[in-house]
Amino acid sequence: MKFSLGRYVPYDSLIHRIDPRAKLLAILFLMICIFFPYQSWAMTFAVDGAIFLLLVVLLYMTRTKIVDILRSLKSLWFMIIFLLLIYCLIPTTEPTFPLAFEVAAWNWRVYWDSFLQAAKILLRLMMMIELTMVLTSSTKPLDLTFALEWYMTPLKVIHFPAHEIAMIISIAIRFIPTLLEDTSRIMKSQESRGVSFSHGRISKRVVSLTSLIIPLFVSAFMRSDELANAMECRGYDPRGNRTRYRLLKAKWYDWVFLLFCAAVFGVLLWFSIDPRFNALLLFPAEVH
Amino acid sequence: MPITFSNVFYTYNPKTPLENAALNGVDLTIEDGSFTAIVGRTGSGKSTMVQMINALLSPSQGEVVVNEFINAADKKKRTKKLYKVRGQVGLVFQFPEYQLFADTVEKDVAFAPKNFGLKEEEALEEAHKALREVGLDESFDKRSPFELSGGEKRRVAIAGILAFHPNILVVDEPTAGLDPRGAFQMMELFEKVHKAGTTVILVTHDMNIVLRYADRVLVVDNGKIVRSSDPETLFFEDIEKYSLETPLLYSFVKGLSKRGFPLDPGKIHDVDSLAAEIAAKKGDKR
Repeated sequence: MKFSLGRYVPYDSLIHRIDPRAKLLAILFLMICIFFPYQSWAMTFAVDGAIFLLLVVLLYMTRTKIVDILRSLKSLWFMIIFLLLIYCLIPTTEPTFPLAFEVAAWNWRVYWDSFLQAAKILLRLMMMIELTMVLTSSTKPLDLTFALEWYMTPLKVIHFPAHEIAMIISIAIRFIPTLLEDTSRIMKSQESRGVSFSHGRISKRVVSLTSLIIPLFVSAFMRSDELANAMECRGYDPRGNRTRYRLLKAKWYDWVFLLFCAAVFGVLLWFSIDPRFNALLLFPAEVH
Repeated sequence: MPITFSNVFYTYNPKTPLENAALNGVDLTIEDGSFTAIVGRTGSGKSTMVQMINALLSPSQGEVVVNEFINAADKKKRTKKLYKVRGQVGLVFQFPEYQLFADTVEKDVAFAPKNFGLKEEEALEEAHKALREVGLDESFDKRSPFELSGGEKRRVAIAGILAFHPNILVVDEPTAGLDPRGAFQMMELFEKVHKAGTTVILVTHDMNIVLRYADRVLVVDNGKIVRSSDPETLFFEDIEKYSLETPLLYSFVKGLSKRGFPLDPGKIHDVDSLAAEIAAKKGDKR
């Protein structure tokens, strides 16, 4: 089995030990922070840089490997080109920075602002990916669904199927590794029968793919059937009142982490709203 | 040419927290035309070994040689187009019925021969032969494999491997989940294939089968070959330490010896030879 990106890694770091509910909310706070707008370029990059530093610390704490982080960025190269293209095509009406290049014949001017815009979006996208990585690599998927269910519980009043949704999500997550295992097993047995999944003509590869997909579907349906039977045998009733084996209890460091992230959120929100801060260090050209 | 493993190591998920060493220096030779059983507790590394014979896995260290194919950890030493070894080694996975996918039984069985270069009609012909060999008559040819019973499905899957006439046949737990009669027929089939000159490698937990069919046993424990001998010698020793169960026949012989009726285990392979031994002994006493 391949070690995929953002998959839960069973270390015992402080971040791993934080209550999933607190972690989910805290990460959500940080994620919103990433997208606050500021008037001045200086402020934008100063704040984004600060969040980036915080993220580096968090990633270090979850013991995510640098290689993994770099690998997560590898898929972004297409985005880089795409964003640059888009921002170069959108005309800058009130440029802050000098002209980068122009094609006079088409009346097309590109200012350095476009590149900065693209860099900003990229930085923010990257931070979002890393932040999700912090969450998913340090939290068991099942704990995450518990947290989701916990937040959805108040909605039960309006007959929102919180438990059912959480159950569906946790079953789906639970079966990802199982299905992956099935896939690799079926791939191997078809490879022993002379199938090659990586080379060959397209028409041949379509057949190879059906030889993988059909057995995979068959076994997935069989598993779901068995699971449904097993659950019913144990008297599963989605509306039943149930106790839980794993009890989530908030500890002091959960509160510290949550409050810290909430504080970061609060301060940055204030920075973003208050004109004294969000226009800090305006370039002369930015004053209109 | 025989199959040889020289100092083979294999690690799953290396350099991650899920790192797991499956093989820790395996050395073995399996002679051509032999019927070798590989036994050992769950997770001892049997399946990993078997997959290396078929080049589905490559060793992390050491090398595996099958016929003229070299599957080495060192990529430079590896035979080019190593996957071609799969045309000579037929690997039947555990619960092979899950690999069926075609709309008719004959097409599914003809799939592998076609992949290994036979034309459509030739492949179908081989498929029909293989189906008869596993004991499924013409009425099965056009049926969908998904409407068959579990035992029939397994036979179709095994026919799918036999159809390309591998000279090495590797079977992983072929009798798991079959009724005694089905299991017996399955083993008789492999015996027949073996008699026709194919090297058979059998992974199993059933020591009665090992005693009855295999001419050599390899005991795997913790990713190493800890014993390699003929079944008769092995089963007369204490094999509980490898989590193996003494075959019924031998626990009977051992029980008799304990009660003062020693028999020569080397001469006992099945119920008939046991009866003959007992009769001979009684004759002596009279």
